[in-house]
Amino acid sequence: MSDLHNRLVSAEADRPDLTEENVNKGEQLTQMQMIWRRFRRHRAAMVSLVLLLVIVAFAFVGPLVWPYDHTVSRDIAGNLSPSLQHPFGTTKQGNDVFAQTMRGAQQSLKVALVVSIVSTTIGSIWGAIAGYYRGRIDAIMMRIADVFLIIPLIVAVAAISGNVRGGTTWYAVALIICFFSWATIARVVRGVVLSLREQEFIEAARAAGAKVTRIIFRHLLPNAAGPIIVAATLLVALAVLTEASLSFIGFGIQPPDISLGKMVEGARTAAFTRPWLFYPPGVLIVLICLTINFIGDGLRDALDPRQTMVRR
Amino acid sequence: MENRRKLLGAAAVGVSAALVLGACSPPADDDGAGGASSVSWIVNQAGGGWNHNTPEGGSVYVIQMLHGVLPVPGHWDPSGEWQWNTDLLVNTPELINEDPMVWEYEINPDANWSDGEPIDADDFIWTWKMNSGNEELCADNCNSRGTLLTAQFESVEGSEDGKTVTVTMKDGEKFPEWFTFAADGLYPAHLAEAEGFDLDTPEGMLESSNWFNENPIPISGGHYLIEEGAALDGRVVKTVNEDYYGDLPNIEEIILEVNTEEGSWVPALSNGEIQGAAPASWSDDVITQLEDAQGVEFGIEPGGSWEHVDINMDNETLSDKALRQAIFMAIDVENIATRTYGEKFPEIEPRTNHIFDNNSEFHEDVVTELGQGSGDSEAALEVLEDAGYELDGETLTLDGDEVAPLRLRYTAGHVAREIIAELIQSDLAKIGVTIEIETTDDLGGTLSEQDYDLMIYGWSGTPAFASSPSQFWRSDSGSNYGNLNNSEVDELVDKAMNVATPEESAVFANEAAALVAEEAYVLPIVSTPVFYFYDTNYLSGVTDNNSQSRRALWNQHEWSAVE
Amino acid sequence: MLVYTARRFAVAIPVLLAASVLVFLMVDLSGDPLSDLRMQQPPPSPETIAAAEARYYLDRSIPERYWLWMTGIGGNGDIGLLQGKFGPSVRGGPFDIGEQLASGISITIRLVSAAIVMALGLAIVSGVISAMRQYSKLDYTLTFIGFLALAMPTFWLGALIREGGLWFNKTTDTSFFYTIGANSARVSNMTGWEYFLDSAGHLVLPTVTLMLTSYAAWSRYQRTSMLEVLNSDYVRLARAKGVRNSVVVRRHALRTALIPLVTVATIGIVGILEGVVIIETIFQWRGLGYFFIEAVKAKDTFALMAWLMLSGTLVVLANLIADVLYGVLDPRIRYE
Repeated sequence: MSDLHNRLVSAEADRPDLTEENVNKGEQLTQMQMIWRRFRRHRAAMVSLVLLLVIVAFAFVGPLVWPYDHTVSRDIAGNLSPSLQHPFGTTKQGNDVFAQTMRGAQQSLKVALVVSIVSTTIGSIWGAIAGYYRGRIDAIMMRIADVFLIIPLIVAVAAISGNVRGGTTWYAVALIICFFSWATIARVVRGVVLSLREQEFIEAARAAGAKVTRIIFRHLLPNAAGPIIVAATLLVALAVLTEASLSFIGFGIQPPDISLGKMVEGARTAAFTRPWLFYPPGVLIVLICLTINFIGDGLRDALDPRQTMVRR
Repeated sequence: MENRRKLLGAAAVGVSAALVLGACSPPADDDGAGGASSVSWIVNQAGGGWNHNTPEGGSVYVIQMLHGVLPVPGHWDPSGEWQWNTDLLVNTPELINEDPMVWEYEINPDANWSDGEPIDADDFIWTWKMNSGNEELCADNCNSRGTLLTAQFESVEGSEDGKTVTVTMKDGEKFPEWFTFAADGLYPAHLAEAEGFDLDTPEGMLESSNWFNENPIPISGGHYLIEEGAALDGRVVKTVNEDYYGDLPNIEEIILEVNTEEGSWVPALSNGEIQGAAPASWSDDVITQLEDAQGVEFGIEPGGSWEHVDINMDNETLSDKALRQAIFMAIDVENIATRTYGEKFPEIEPRTNHIFDNNSEFHEDVVTELGQGSGDSEAALEVLEDAGYELDGETLTLDGDEVAPLRLRYTAGHVAREIIAELIQSDLAKIGVTIEIETTDDLGGTLSEQDYDLMIYGWSGTPAFASSPSQFWRSDSGSNYGNLNNSEVDELVDKAMNVATPEESAVFANEAAALVAEEAYVLPIVSTPVFYFYDTNYLSGVTDNNSQSRRALWNQHEWSAVE
Repeated sequence: MLVYTARRFAVAIPVLLAASVLVFLMVDLSGDPLSDLRMQQPPPSPETIAAAEARYYLDRSIPERYWLWMTGIGGNGDIGLLQGKFGPSVRGGPFDIGEQLASGISITIRLVSAAIVMALGLAIVSGVISAMRQYSKLDYTLTFIGFLALAMPTFWLGALIREGGLWFNKTTDTSFFYTIGANSARVSNMTGWEYFLDSAGHLVLPTVTLMLTSYAAWSRYQRTSMLEVLNSDYVRLARAKGVRNSVVVRRHALRTALIPLVTVATIGIVGILEGVVIIETIFQWRGLGYFFIEAVKAKDTFALMAWLMLSGTLVVLANLIADVLYGVLDPRIRYE
């Protein structure tokens, strides 16, 4: 969690000079274009984006065309080395590892996306409200967030996931990770909003009699979009890794379903004996996190006009 | 400001350095000994207490840690034969009388604890009281983990200066495996007395039980002595007991290290940090690593525990015997066994009796003739059709109603059971029975709450079997989780416990097992194979013993160091 | 300043309390701690189970149990956080939670302190280099290494580093690196130097792993803050004055750029605690991480609570220290 926090803090530190932003709709488009242009210039980020899209396609489209699914089949011989028919070999019980990898990537990505979206949504709104009202409401809301922050994430998840009846499914894992990760986002967004609310366009909106919800959703949050987007991106990588760590200590997604973390965990003693079981899911985890980190980096640069312009 | 920063920086570095170095100063020298031949051996899990008679201390891990420290009257050899401890006993105990059952131990007059006190009847009496289940002898049941045999004792008495011990059972009570009394080791009663506990009062006994549970034994009645600083969740260092009354062992020091991460074993072995292990769980990849490693000897054998599928008889769908039979017939146990263990252990075969392993002298195949475990889905479908079921495409129906999906459960993270579950799921799909796999984190709770339709789990045991049928199947037994209710079985399991010899007992046990198979209540899968390994650059003479909790450590006193 | 610190501390107490309630609920609902006992063969008698329930206070309701855990009033004298007692462990009498926790701290602290020192040093050096040579090959390489470390599951990273250590031992035919435990079994007969070598040999591999998990984020952060400072007016002014570049970097830029890293690193303790849980499993240390894992496995409520109280307090303290340090280091900030 602190990794995330560190990165979020730096996302915040990097945030663009928000006064320059304009809320006018027509100009936002051009701004989007500008951001996109800057993003494209970040070569690593562009390569990463393409790679990530390929992985997503592999995970979600692959299972539709591949002849095997991730479950055990009597017709698949156990413990085969890689071949054309089974590019990543088979497990003892007779799963096609290639199909498992696709399914695992799918489940891991689903977990990651849900975590990212749900946590970011809750965290942003929570942080924006706290930052907007300040004072006692802010104090109470942030203390509540602190309660979740002082419990280390995997610790909390490990303690709670034994409680999920009937095995742990991907959405259960996702929701549990959400439960303990929204607070970091809330803290970041609050910081941004605290400084935003003092600016003229917010004061103008307030003077014009805009309702609180309108100010928060139409003015504050869109203007805090930069750090929020970066944070949400990084949360994807964090969720993938958290899920893997959970699998390692035995509290992740449970069979017959599969995730990348579960696969790597199950094959961790196989790294040197049956590498085809260990490396495909492992490399996929690394690839997902790596690409996402680079995309986050690219986004940060793209959303920050100052830094990308400076070349010495 | 400048100075303040410097100061802070220096302080920060200083503090961290102090932390690192402070943790690195050696603890006070005590003896400076250190054997030339020292063996580090892995124990799979932390122990919970030093008294193996209690539930916390009663794990195989504690018994391994205490092995060679507590004197034992006898033990099971690798072939499952009972062997008396000829160092401790000068006679071969036999039944002197059958009703009531009476037997006698004659203790070696030279057999002393390492503090010079004799090993005598008091130590046997303590073990009896500890496990008597009698509130007048021991308060709060002494927190005993098992009172089955000892609760039937009328008395344990010493004579000849306590060097002869006579055990008398209550009238009418019999137990075929009477010789297993105190098999996990005797505790030094005189030590408890020296601590001030009055062993003639129930409270004193309870206090002594707790005291033994909380403290590692400082003296030894066997080959090895526990050194100070032993930790149940860390390391137990055992050195030779120089005052042992038999032949001294060759290995001067045995270090038992708790290690819960199987991925670290072979690296640590090849790095010379450990010399061997007999892990409780199975791992193909660890075995593959061992195959590739240099200077390592390892072996694989069927172990003491066995996996099985249980049916919840109270489930409405499963209350139909025909369905249960069909389910057991459709499961291909041979295929399961091969896929689960066959790669590294081609000799694996389906287990065909609940009580006896296929290699046991008492073994009778009770499932094959019923077609159970054959994977013959055609035959299974025939049984179903005769009982009025219909297979329509992929769904099985009874009188037009679809057969509800069944929940198959097992312990989360158990790799072998995961494989078994997935294979059963695919087997049963062929007869239209839908299986939903659900893992559990709480095996005991799930079982006792009957929160399952089908359950995969294991029973473990020693060659002692007489009480198992009653425990598994008697209608009022707490471990009859699926709630089998069959009065014939009840009668048979009682008889199996209440005879004087294992041979007589086995007859009843087999009859009961046949009835259970007929009911299609429990389907045995395999006797779980286990493996052990050791570094041949350091050690020789190591063999596994699956009849004992101590596993390969069982003959540690016969090991020798390689020059 | 003192008032500020005291006020922050006062606010932290209800937060800790709320966290303890949350965790207590989670742990208490997560299963039956006696399930292993119930599964024993031959099965223990009902009296044994009932006695165990009474001993571990399982016969009381959850609110009662929480109250008991906090105050110890109405207990058997072995419980009550306010009296400095952590409660009985379901793993039996010999397992004293307080003692085990203390021995866990003494083991873990050397791992954590060594890792933090290394991570900080490396993060500063590589962060500064990256910033000085922004968008150079070196910058990209360092960025990539950092991201790679961030992208790898910790347990995998640990296994790789272990293999690296073994490979080193084999190629050099030495036995410097150890892969399990914090020390060899017999240390009493070692000289101080031998003991130091033994400790170091056990320490290096897990430390490097733990270090890498924190290093990556910290070096990124150092890079950002260094860039910001390098582009600030006063650094430009210094340059314009003709101060030598190395002096500018060392004396003007780096000092200011270090300030944020201090806070980030202090707050990073949560992440380090998480890393410790995984790394102590891989390298089989008997520290705080192992304590936690075993407590979760045994559903040992009171042991888990003790652990979480300790980690919670550490985190609260770390946050507090971060704030205070920030004030001390950065003269622009004043606390009222």
